[in-house]
Amino acid sequence: MSRLAFVVLAFPSFALAQQKVIEISGANFRPMPLAVAAPMTQDDAAKKVAAEFDSALVYDFSACGLFQVLERKGYLADAKEGVTAGSIAFNRWSDVGAEALVKTQLSTEGDTIRADLRLFAVGAGREELKVSEVAPAKNLRRLAHKLANAVYRFYTRETGPFETRIAWSRKSQQGRDVYVADWDGKNAQRITSDSVNVLPALLPGGVAFTSYRQKKPFLFVSRGGGEPTLLLAKGAMVTGAAFSHDGKRLAVSVSEGENAEIFVANADGSDAKKVTDTKFFLNTSPTWSPDGKKLAFVSNRAGNPQIYVMGADGLGVKRLTFQGNYNTTPAWSPRGDVIAFTARDERNAFDLFTVNVDSGKIVRLTQDAANNEEPAFSPSGRLILFTSTRTGARQLHVMTVDGNNQLALPVDKGDYATPDWAE
Amino acid sequence: MGMSTGRGAPGRTTMSEINVTPMVDVMLVLLIIFMVTAPLIQQGVKVNLPETKAAPVESTDKKLVVSIDANKKVFIGEAEVQLADLEEKLKANAKAQKDKELYLHADRDLPYGIVVDVMAAAQRAGVTNVGMITDPMGAGRTSKEDKKKK
Repeated sequence: MSRLAFVVLAFPSFALAQQKVIEISGANFRPMPLAVAAPMTQDDAAKKVAAEFDSALVYDFSACGLFQVLERKGYLADAKEGVTAGSIAFNRWSDVGAEALVKTQLSTEGDTIRADLRLFAVGAGREELKVSEVAPAKNLRRLAHKLANAVYRFYTRETGPFETRIAWSRKSQQGRDVYVADWDGKNAQRITSDSVNVLPALLPGGVAFTSYRQKKPFLFVSRGGGEPTLLLAKGAMVTGAAFSHDGKRLAVSVSEGENAEIFVANADGSDAKKVTDTKFFLNTSPTWSPDGKKLAFVSNRAGNPQIYVMGADGLGVKRLTFQGNYNTTPAWSPRGDVIAFTARDERNAFDLFTVNVDSGKIVRLTQDAANNEEPAFSPSGRLILFTSTRTGARQLHVMTVDGNNQLALPVDKGDYATPDWAE
Repeated sequence: MGMSTGRGAPGRTTMSEINVTPMVDVMLVLLIIFMVTAPLIQQGVKVNLPETKAAPVESTDKKLVVSIDANKKVFIGEAEVQLADLEEKLKANAKAQKDKELYLHADRDLPYGIVVDVMAAAQRAGVTNVGMITDPMGAGRTSKEDKKKK
């Protein structure tokens, strides 16, 4: 990504005073109807890459939860309409319900692609934002992500999720492999190529996962996509690694026979300390609070798996979920307020819920869409990545933190599991 | 209603009071007449509203207008679309799908069939409220022209 030249040509500061800032959270939030015109191309080489660029841009706007991207089939504008405010028939765009309009132009400059994006307010008939980016042709989707981010930032003053990383474990011929990819599942890099590798946990510059590559399932780490090295070997099995948000500490579950206990160690695997000590019960799936002071985890000490919260030193254990008899895979929101988890409901379907850390209030996120499991929060805490069997195979999906805008990632069919999401 | 006192022999006493009975009768009749005519008068007032050919004032929620001109060309707003594509266009139109309504602005000389085709397309696209835009100024003209044709 560092190879991307980043050029912001003009940012209309005069528009800032009257700019519409979208408040993403809250009951009154309504996705903004956004029209994304097909990219205009200046030359043949740009024409070849336009479809890929376009799909990345449209996916970004659709999946980020901020916009309702209007169907292009319904557009009424002239195909040869220009890209300047003066040449756009804005009433044709308002007739399809658009409040904002994005127009892009692609051109090639040597080995690089140049993309210009303009954002218009349809009601006011005014250009709001103009951004240009240049990138090598192979980084085309990242070029689109950067432009989408500029639009997202314009409306929210926040960085969008478009340039974050996700990881997952996917079924392969000989077992399971760990992948790291862009937020849309594209540019996927396979980290492992043999044995069974599960439960990836992203850390700055790398990914840790539980692997059977040295017979016993211990924790390994791959930095920069390189050969995995052993990070933590303890007991009979090390699973469910989670790195604290400052990247300094690591929580894992270590099986020692009948039971499994939570351990907290330094991020390099050193100085591992046992923080739960239940002797006969399972304590798994730790997840850090944003300030790194607390851990949420799953324990069956009450007879069935429930979510518990405790201090990172193991003190002050408190049960958080009291509904249902099977609550697992907690993920603590980076905003701190809620924990998302998988629960088996009364119809034996697995669905996603959030529980408020303070009040214990439970909110259902998925329903009537086969099994939905294994939530992972986006770094901003606005979105949740999860697996769902609604399309048949277990696929990666994304939705907003209140369960709206559920969308499948544009990746090929396969058996995806235990996604993770990080900067 | 013998309210007058003229009961004595004629000529012997003078009438010193106004006989109010016929006056009350007349007033009541007048009152009834006014009561009956008052609403009729209001309805019957002919006001010459200013005629205008300019576009109407655009309200904040502009309605979607589908127009058909005399050449049977179909427009959504001002964009021409093929009749065959109309259903798909409306299905993909967020505004039509949200409001579930559109206004039909068809040339008065069009055959009934094409107007029905457009309305059917709108219905198939889930736009259940179709309003007809009429032109009251043209009503008189139509009958005159119709007579000319005959």
